Amino acid sequence: MHDAIVIGAGPAGVTAALRMAQKGLSVLLLERGTVPGEKNMFGGMLPNCPVVEELLPRFLQEAPLERHIVKRTLCLLSDSSASSFVFESKNFDRPPFSGSTIYRPVFDKWYAQKAREAGVNLLTGCLVDALLIDGNAIQGVRIGPDRAEIKAPVTIVCDGVLSRLAQKAGLRKTPEQDALALGIKALFRLKEETINERFGLVRDQGCSHEFIGCTRGIRGGGFIYTQTETLSAGLVLHLDSLRKSGFAPYDLFEEFLACDTVRRLLKGARLVEYSAHMIPEGGYRKVPRLFADGVLLAGDAAGLCYTNGLNLEGMNLAMASGFHAAETVLDAFQKHDFAAQQLARYQSRLENSFVLRDMKTYEKSMDFMRNDRLFSVYPEIVSTIMERIFQADGNPRKKFGRIGREAARNALPLGDLVIDLLKGGRSIL
Amino acid sequence: MITDHLFELTGYRIDKESHITVNREMCTSCDHRACVFTCPAGCYEWNEAGARIDFAYEACLECGTCHIICDKGALQWNYPRGGFGVRYRLT
Repeated sequence: MHDAIVIGAGPAGVTAALRMAQKGLSVLLLERGTVPGEKNMFGGMLPNCPVVEELLPRFLQEAPLERHIVKRTLCLLSDSSASSFVFESKNFDRPPFSGSTIYRPVFDKWYAQKAREAGVNLLTGCLVDALLIDGNAIQGVRIGPDRAEIKAPVTIVCDGVLSRLAQKAGLRKTPEQDALALGIKALFRLKEETINERFGLVRDQGCSHEFIGCTRGIRGGGFIYTQTETLSAGLVLHLDSLRKSGFAPYDLFEEFLACDTVRRLLKGARLVEYSAHMIPEGGYRKVPRLFADGVLLAGDAAGLCYTNGLNLEGMNLAMASGFHAAETVLDAFQKHDFAAQQLARYQSRLENSFVLRDMKTYEKSMDFMRNDRLFSVYPEIVSTIMERIFQADGNPRKKFGRIGREAARNALPLGDLVIDLLKGGRSIL
Repeated sequence: MITDHLFELTGYRIDKESHITVNREMCTSCDHRACVFTCPAGCYEWNEAGARIDFAYEACLECGTCHIICDKGALQWNYPRGGFGVRYRLT
């Protein structure tokens, strides 16, 4: 019998398993892929996550990181123009860095190997489709065609965004369309020197581009991230908005790839892989109950993911939640108590860490992002303003404020603008 | 279209049996058939001649879009058996 079972060898599960093994627990880690990471995909950047360096002090030297991000671009696209805001910092060019691009199948495999080295028993190719439930308590899992029972006093469920098992444990329902976004992504191969030259990078510096206004008004956006010898380009589309639109994600993607700004960045790059994955977009309010007797939820399975328009974080929240789940289990072992009341400490741990605090801080941003106008009307307004500012046509110029007011007045009712400014302001300021 | 080249681009270990079961009866009367256009792998197709949904599980990327989109209860949705399904190399 194991001390703990962890389901899912993604960032949350591996962090939890690694921590518990380092502290002497016998841990069984179950993964449905033949190799950890082969089912996993994300946008592009792992934000710096100090918790991991605590577990693996040589993380920055040894982890298979691609490029550290020193430059971030937010680009508003319209039919006729693109307005970009570019931020770059020398401070992001030295450890601990602000974040790095990675390949999930490569990184997750490496990370799981670290857990194995710490003593975690990893079983791959193993889909867990049932939990052992006794009354209210989770006592382990059933696996394999013969539905063999594996028991443990505590199970940490990290089976990803759809979390079938959290539903079986009664902790959450099937997530709804308006709490999810579909991410699709293609990987393009390009020479390292070409990437460096094209994006203005040296050594293993990297950059990210986020695009708004490239989704035919569907809530969401596009992105391009640089790896050493590849570019990740993709779209994130709110599922309810996608469905309403009637457009197919791959058609929107082809359009995105064909728009001038993106086409130039990808010129000569060879398409090598295509992937899709769901993203929890429910925000703080949709975080489910995180524990019950004998069970804890971490990572995407717990809906731990947020965006405020500029930060898009999930993988670091997954790792930190895995860490706190492990710490909670270690405490529970001290007390030999795995009841919900004891495991409730997990909730307060997350509430005191950046995980739930950041999600709470940007709770209103997630609501604000559900405003359709952000993805259609506003990129057009910005485009109009910028064109009027830079256009020289022999007519007298107007002050910026007047140009802005006129552009906005022609694009949407004043009331909507005021509401959006207030809500938008409140969501990030 | 990118989905035409899925098997060249993305790795799979395809199971003999489908991990998703479609109740085609229900699809006949469905008023949106949103699975057809929202699936990022294009696994669902409305067959006009046969008046039925054609479904190919082999190219499934396991994202769960159809599972969430289908509000008619026509899908019995599961992940593929352990060790089967999509296998991303880098992504």
